[in-house]
Parts: sequence; C-alpha cells; structure tokens
Amino acid sequence: MTLSKKEISILIEITFSIIFTLIFLPFFYRNQETLFVISELMGKVIEIIIFVVIYFSIAYSLLEVIYKNKITEDERCDMINSKSYKLGYLLYEFSLFIFIGKLVNSSTHQNGEIIFLILALLLIVSIIKSTYHFYLHRTF
Amino acid sequence: MVLKNNLKEFRQNKDYTQDDLGKSVGVSRQTIISIERYRYKPSLELAMKIARELNIKIEKLFYFA
Repeated sequence: MTLSKKEISILIEITFSIIFTLIFLPFFYRNQETLFVISELMGKVIEIIIFVVIYFSIAYSLLEVIYKNKITEDERCDMINSKSYKLGYLLYEFSLFIFIGKLVNSSTHQNGEIIFLILALLLIVSIIKSTYHFYLHRTF
Repeated sequence: MVLKNNLKEFRQNKDYTQDDLGKSVGVSRQTIISIERYRYKPSLELAMKIARELNIKIEKLFYFA
C-alpha cells in the first residue's frame, strides 16, 4: 500500500489526536477538581505546547525529507475536504447537544468536569473527522 | 446512465504517465487515477483541460454508458 504525501499528513493529524488522547486526557480526567488552579494547570499547558511543537516539527520535517514533491491541492481535494468538514460540523453539532444534555441532567457541575467533557468530545470528533478524511482520500 | 471515460487508453496512446498528465492540467496523480477508475467525476473545466492536453474531443473522452 503506497500512501501519498497528503494521506501521510492526514495520518500525522490522526496520530496526534490519538497520542494526545492517551497521554494528556487522563490528566484532565484525574484532576477535575484542581483544573482551575492556575499553578496546577500551567505546568501541564506548557508541557502540551512543547509536545505539540516538537511532534509537528519532527513529523512534518520527516515528511518533507521523505516526500520532496509539493502537495497538489486540486478540485478533488476540495470535494474531499468539504465532505469531511461537513461530517465534522454535524459531529460538532451533535456533541454540543450531548454537552448541553449533560449540563442539564447533572445536578452538580464541576468546572473541571466541563473542561474534560469538552476536550474529550473535541478529540473524538477530530479523530472521526480525520479518519473519514483519510478514508475518502483512499477510496475516491 | 453512468459517466465513463477512455482516459487511460488515450493517455497511454500519447505516452503520458498519470503524473505527467496531472502536472500538465494542474491536478495530482491521485485525481487522474480516480478519474480513470470512474470514482471521481471531474468538473467541466478539468475535463476540457484534459481533452485539450490529449488533443481529443471531449465527447470522445467522456461518454455515458
């Protein structure tokens, strides 16, 4: 199976979302009570920023070294993008309903719980959207 | 009715690779592959660019089957 540069770049995004979910999401789940303590949160935020910068620098540098040619964005890419972003938009709407439903049904809301829920929903939607994007690139 | 094409045949007759043809009409190799496999229907503009590049009438390149 040979993958194009565009497909590899989508896989980099999917991998990032999965790694983020596995490494950082448990922190937000475990520390729901202390998420609004700035001193507690700042360390983690800096850690995340450093991780993001290092991950994308290495991943895209390797991609540029391996694939010298430029990614050609054409009308097929536009169509695939519009299909995957449409799915993403619908999923974001759906997750908004889940979020509101959770707020309405829950008697006690912790701010940390809300942050964790938003982050989890965003990551799930991002992984589904990017996977669908990759699938369309492979099959269209 | 399904829109089909003879792109692969005409492209090979002109000794174009998928990459060559893609570059000359401004699309990726994957787009040419998708058109040849009837998975992607090109816009009228792209279809006319391909027909002009291969020096063939558009109705000979694309047809309903």
